[in-house]
Amino acid sequence: MGCNGSTLAKIHNLDELILETGFSSSHICRLYDRFHALDKDDKGSLNRSDFQNISELAVNPLGDRIINAFFPDGMDLIDFNSFVRILARFRPVDQNPKKEPNAPEPINSRVNKLKFAFQLYDQDKDGKISKNELLQVLRMMLGVQVTEEQLESITDRTIQEADLDGDNAISFKEFKKSLDKVDIEHKMSIRFLR
Amino acid sequence: MPVRDLLRTSSKLSPFQPRYDHLLLLVCVLGTALPLGVDCNPSAENHQNNGTQKKAFPVLSFDYLHVRLPFEIALWILLASLMKLGFHLIPRLSNIVPESCLLIVVGLLVGGLIKVVGEDPPVLDSKVFFLCLLPPIILDAGYFLPIRAFSENTGTILMFAVIGTLWNSFFMGGMLYAVCQIPGTGLENVGLLPSLLFGSIISAVDPVAVLAVFEEIHINELLHILVFGESLLNDAVTVVLYHLFEEYAGVGSVTFMDVFLGVICFLVVSLGGIFMGILYGLIAAFTSRFTPHTRVIEPLFVFLYSYMAYLSAEVFHLSGIMALIACGVVMRPYVEANISHKSHTTIKYFLKMWSSVSETLIFIFLGVSTVAGPHQWDWTFVGCTLLFCLVSRVLGVIGLTSIINKFRIVKLTTKDQFIIAYGGLRGAIAFSLGFLLDKHHFPMRDMFLTAIITVIFFTVFVQGMTIRPLVELLAVKKKQETKRSINEEIHTQFLDHLLTGIEDVCGHYGHHHWKDKLSRFNKKYIKKCLIAGERSKEPQLIAFYHKMEMKQAIELVESGGIPKIPSAVSTVSMQNIKPKRALPQLSKGKEEEIRNILRSNLQRTRQRLRSYNRHTLMADPYEDAWNQMLIRRQKARQLEKRMTNYLTVPANHPDSPTMMRSRLSSDPQGYSLKLNSGNVPAIVVDPATPQSPESMKLLDESSKPGEEDQGIVMRAKLPESSRTDDNVFPPGEDSPKEQRLIRCLSDPGPPPEEEKDDEYQAFLN
Repeated sequence: MGCNGSTLAKIHNLDELILETGFSSSHICRLYDRFHALDKDDKGSLNRSDFQNISELAVNPLGDRIINAFFPDGMDLIDFNSFVRILARFRPVDQNPKKEPNAPEPINSRVNKLKFAFQLYDQDKDGKISKNELLQVLRMMLGVQVTEEQLESITDRTIQEADLDGDNAISFKEFKKSLDKVDIEHKMSIRFLR
Repeated sequence: MPVRDLLRTSSKLSPFQPRYDHLLLLVCVLGTALPLGVDCNPSAENHQNNGTQKKAFPVLSFDYLHVRLPFEIALWILLASLMKLGFHLIPRLSNIVPESCLLIVVGLLVGGLIKVVGEDPPVLDSKVFFLCLLPPIILDAGYFLPIRAFSENTGTILMFAVIGTLWNSFFMGGMLYAVCQIPGTGLENVGLLPSLLFGSIISAVDPVAVLAVFEEIHINELLHILVFGESLLNDAVTVVLYHLFEEYAGVGSVTFMDVFLGVICFLVVSLGGIFMGILYGLIAAFTSRFTPHTRVIEPLFVFLYSYMAYLSAEVFHLSGIMALIACGVVMRPYVEANISHKSHTTIKYFLKMWSSVSETLIFIFLGVSTVAGPHQWDWTFVGCTLLFCLVSRVLGVIGLTSIINKFRIVKLTTKDQFIIAYGGLRGAIAFSLGFLLDKHHFPMRDMFLTAIITVIFFTVFVQGMTIRPLVELLAVKKKQETKRSINEEIHTQFLDHLLTGIEDVCGHYGHHHWKDKLSRFNKKYIKKCLIAGERSKEPQLIAFYHKMEMKQAIELVESGGIPKIPSAVSTVSMQNIKPKRALPQLSKGKEEEIRNILRSNLQRTRQRLRSYNRHTLMADPYEDAWNQMLIRRQKARQLEKRMTNYLTVPANHPDSPTMMRSRLSSDPQGYSLKLNSGNVPAIVVDPATPQSPESMKLLDESSKPGEEDQGIVMRAKLPESSRTDDNVFPPGEDSPKEQRLIRCLSDPGPPPEEEKDDEYQAFLN
């Protein structure tokens, strides 16, 4: 399973992909191999059950949500390019960005990373994390050892802390602000092997 | 004075101590902490005298000798602490000069004084240093090590510690040997192995010095943990190199086999030390599980087990520092879950106290030893040592960073590299190691010691003093002082899970994957064994939340009841903390009931207090909130039944306090919710709404005209006219389950007196 020309040739729009995601061709090769390893039936695209076959995701409390994040807009299949695009958000941030004033924000910028995380909270896509959504996430993460009241208290507290405009929900801006001190560039990056 | 006479007598009896009485007069400065130098024996003569003739019964006698050792130790420690006090009284001194420098200067002065008097100043005994003075500092560092930062940067730290120290040692040793070989320096007798030995001693970054200096400059966490972690982990390397070269310096040659054995030894020393530490840490955690009935000695276990870990590692010549660090790190999460809050505070403060005293003593003794020690100054050697130290450090850091940056997610910038290089301070460990050298094998020991002391002085004084302005100049990021909010905690955990999942999707076994595996293993097996009772199942988030609530509850009480935190409902969980810890077990149902009662009352309390803040009414410190609230409720409820006019407001669904607050603040006529059991349409006013100064007053008046009460008294401001008939009634809470806030629409907002009636009328229309 090496990275050779034939593999690269199979990928559509390779250059465009490289430009958009910032991956190098060796990264993309590796991801291609992984894509095919996951694609048991060799259909050329992944569906949800392929993801569910990953054993570690099954024990992950957020497993379902993560899988859903790969299938935006309710589609059931994901092709390689979209797969790469989603994973591109977790590329480490470029240290010295050459910024042209009108260039679009790179896909792995801090804002985009946060947006991805925000989408995982915000299931109904109304742009805010409501108390219920937060409650659901907490329930998933904390499991059964915690009583309902404790969850409620924590949720209320969290929202009050972050909520600046008083609408009892956390908007993206407030989300971003509450994570100001956390080193997102480090935390939400995976070191993709060469 | 009898004392004087006795002094004179004793001085007559002991011709070997001509200035004994002067010593005593200068008692707060002089003294030797270590049994070196002073040797006298007047006591023997005293006893002889007593045996032969009968003296008068001694009413007051003077016998210094039998308390001498503890007395002198105590004096030294007292001196050190008084010096520390003194520095901070001088206003600007502590900003410019780091404490370590001042302490060394004091040591120099004290040493000078002792020498002037004619005594031999004590030298920093290596045994005392390694067994008594160093462990508290390391334990303090290890117990409070920021695990997250440390584990994220472990690779980098290890690179710097191991490879950096190796590079430094060999570079220094080699270059010094080369310099010594230059004819004309007079140093030809310094062989290769002694040079390498010297290099290994001098190259290790010292944790004590780093801690002392870095603590004052409040640099950002990454740099702090890099330099500090390096100083801790390079102990293993230093130990191995030191022993290796010392063993074979006598023989004169090192074969390849020895080097190979040296590498094995390094692995054994470091891993063995860590293993020893983990073992003791687990035992300590297990012990702490059984201490609920003897809370008083809990801190003692922590200290003793850690010290035992250190000593056991030293028995086998393993790395004691790494053992101590591992013990502290392993022990901490479990012990903290088991011990009481007070024990935790005790541990924290004892550790800080001991490490502070140790550090002070170490620096003072460095100063004294400088005056005392045998010196042999050689310009070439010392100068070259200094030069090569700096050069090797800079080269090492630059070289290693270029390699490390290929693997790091967040790269190290040039500024970071500069601070890391500049922060490589040497300290007392190097001196002690040098002091341990045997004079027979190493005839140039004195020269080595002089050079070591010079390097230490240079790094501590020059680098220590200038690092703060440099940090300012280079605008290096500083430490962020604020504590974590619950948002950060929740989102960080969320991100941890997310990243673990993404890593699994990529098939990439990275940092998150292993961390997740470790924490799952921890939760499943280890926590069950080591944490007592229910706490073992408590997720980390809940523990964090409880801690936060506890802190705020304490703040609440301390500030006299006017909180700054926004949440009302969150204090609910305050009572969740208590049953788990202190109260006897109630039945679940009863607990539930109590909780509901408390919660509902808490809500009222909070909002009432908040309203005070906003309208800056003079409220008394709200101390006995509960009882008064309850009493008032009961009275109010009775009063409600005597109401005449009622107006009910159709209610929306229950709002959380935030909504209520926000709505009410914008619109004085707040709406509220549903009401009680129905048949009696009640106007109830929620006394806790923000604009209720009026309502409060009215409430007050209506409910207890004659009652004197403390907390929410606004009697001074109650104008009669403000009273209207048909509103304001105390909240009716028939059952604890009813936690709705009911409010009367017609209750006017917070307008001042004059407008009130108009608004009211307007509203009615």
